Amino acid sequence: MPNTPVDILTLTHARTTARLGLVHRVLSVRHLTEAAFVVRIERNDVPATAGQCATLGIHGSGINREYSMYAGEHDDYFEFLVRVVEGGQVSTELQRCQPGDQVDFDGPYGQFIIEQPRDPARKYLFIATGVGIAPYRSYIRSYPQLDYTILHGVRYLSECYERDDYPPARYRTCVTREDGGDFRGRVSDYLRAQPPAPGTICYLCGNNAMIAETYDILRAHGVPGDQLFAEIFF
Amino acid sequence: MKIAISYPPIVNERGQVAMVSQNRNVQFFKTPTFLLPVVHAQAATWLRDLGYTVLWDDGNAQLKSFDQWYADLRAAAPDIIVLESTTPVMKFYWRLVNQIKRDLPTCIVIMTGYHSMRNPQETMAQCACDVVLRSNHVDFVLRKLVPFIDEHQNWRETCDQEGLWLRLGENDFRNTGNFKQVENLDLSPDVDRDLVQWQRYAYENGNYLQVPGTYATSVIRDCMFGKCTFCRYNGPDLTFSIRSVQKSLDEYQKLIEVYKVREIFDDSGVWYRGKQAREFAQGIIDRGLHKKGVYFGINTRFAYLDEETIKLMGKANFRFVLVGLEAADEETLRRLNKGYLPHQAYQNLAWFTKYGMHPHLTIMVGYYWQTQAMLDLTVKTVRDLMFRGLARTLQVTICTPLDYTPYHVECVQKGVMLTDDYNDFDMSKLIVRTPIPHARFYEAIRSMYGVAVHPRFVARQVRFLASGRKRDWQFLFTYGWRALRRVRNHIFNLTQAQHSPPA
Repeated sequence: MPNTPVDILTLTHARTTARLGLVHRVLSVRHLTEAAFVVRIERNDVPATAGQCATLGIHGSGINREYSMYAGEHDDYFEFLVRVVEGGQVSTELQRCQPGDQVDFDGPYGQFIIEQPRDPARKYLFIATGVGIAPYRSYIRSYPQLDYTILHGVRYLSECYERDDYPPARYRTCVTREDGGDFRGRVSDYLRAQPPAPGTICYLCGNNAMIAETYDILRAHGVPGDQLFAEIFF
Repeated sequence: MKIAISYPPIVNERGQVAMVSQNRNVQFFKTPTFLLPVVHAQAATWLRDLGYTVLWDDGNAQLKSFDQWYADLRAAAPDIIVLESTTPVMKFYWRLVNQIKRDLPTCIVIMTGYHSMRNPQETMAQCACDVVLRSNHVDFVLRKLVPFIDEHQNWRETCDQEGLWLRLGENDFRNTGNFKQVENLDLSPDVDRDLVQWQRYAYENGNYLQVPGTYATSVIRDCMFGKCTFCRYNGPDLTFSIRSVQKSLDEYQKLIEVYKVREIFDDSGVWYRGKQAREFAQGIIDRGLHKKGVYFGINTRFAYLDEETIKLMGKANFRFVLVGLEAADEETLRRLNKGYLPHQAYQNLAWFTKYGMHPHLTIMVGYYWQTQAMLDLTVKTVRDLMFRGLARTLQVTICTPLDYTPYHVECVQKGVMLTDDYNDFDMSKLIVRTPIPHARFYEAIRSMYGVAVHPRFVARQVRFLASGRKRDWQFLFTYGWRALRRVRNHIFNLTQAQHSPPA
């Protein structure tokens, strides 16, 4: 192609090669709340980059959904943090899984990854709502040297899933429907009051409205578009 | 200020018209086909709502010759012209922009579309355009950019809106960084149907079984899956945005009750799934819109819609379901990151058919790794699906590496590209080296299109009449003729392509 810029041709498109039609066994299901759980499945030597997602479905059901990695890229299992969707076939069936059950696995896919995780000069702000925290846990387990802060927006404290996995100084909660978190309100309210330090690279993962609103707040506080990365969960 | 959102008529040497719209790759059609560019139509509506004079200037849908279109544009003398472009017509657009800048030197030309957004510096260098939008959210960007231009003489130097390339001088450009990936789509207005002369797009479109039909404002902008390697909706800077169910339902109600449309198609890369899909279908039923004789159509992907959801959609009068069956071999599906298996395609299609929908398959051939065995399996599977009645219509395209998709990057890196002439990227011929002669792929395409006139397929459509559904009668006796015209058009394209292989 004429005049093709090298930076475009060297974009990081899926570092790993997706697998298709694999059947993995469920190793465990950790029920975190009535509406959220972690399903751990066999890794089966499938390579993945932290933050990527995979599609999961009950073996033979014909239906699947994408879920972001919750485990680290070097863990010998895959984990996915799943929110139970009312009437949702995949999430409710995964919730009922027992060790030894089979799930269809396709992937990994996706570009919501950290480009240079070993650069010590980079500071990260990981902003999530609900189960949108999943890819961040994957980053943190994969790159222990990351200089990060998580800003986690939830309705209730019970939705601060496995918060002990994060050092308290790096995990900030914004709770909308009860007291007891670091901040009472939404992540957008928090960021209006306490914007990130200049140079911080911001990741946004959650629902459409949160991402669109938070992006504008961060831009208004001088975070350049090149330092903002987003992935929608819904 | 007067803003023209313009689609010039582009006619190739075979007398076919380029269909530039919806940020899709350009295809040339001999049979008239008019697609409403939804996002640009939202942009037009928004700018008009802000008080600007908007000229909806689709030369194709308005049946103008190029000369007539250009003369009208000059006479209108807009302050800003917005163009949408993709790879096969880039050279045309660069020439056109330079012509506009000569004839209307004070007019600001804004380039949008996937090619220029992926490689903005090229378009800035190749033509005299003033702005390149890197964002696919054309409506949101123009909503801010146009007022800024209107209010600031030094807008080129001072505009800090993200996702723009701005011209400061002949070879002096300003890049304002990455664009905002996710927007709140509920803020963008519904398309003003009168402003965009919706009826011009309401009849000549192969997706409609009943007319007038129209495209709804997309509920998903880009694609919520977004992983397929050949697709423009894939990239590290792309995700998707979603519109609320209730806002979309309001629009459907208005289209049916005020505009009296008889078929509505949502061209989202992939339509809602799961909870939103059920809410939408139930909303159609709750509002009684399923009893108005209007059909609804969507794009989806295999493994997204479960049987209960499909059943509800059937009750809500969904009919047309466009779904990609890119190949029938697992190796190709894996390489393309499709995330489904052939048996899931059968299962999903059986559900769609069971609840009265008309699945439309979009098949691709010509991957650089595709062997004869892989190709044969795809042809065999497609014929089987059509003969069984699991799909009603199909469209076969040649897989063309679209600018800077992972598949394109792969083709460049593997050295299999046969051309670097943008004009060759119009999906009329294979432009990658393949393990088998190109002629085999053209034969395969003809074989798949040939199903439409095969006695087994026709007999299956006759058997569908026993269902008593009006749509099955319409399909056989009304749609059949139009479908045959389109098959003839596709075969015409391929016959021509074989006489003009890439260099």
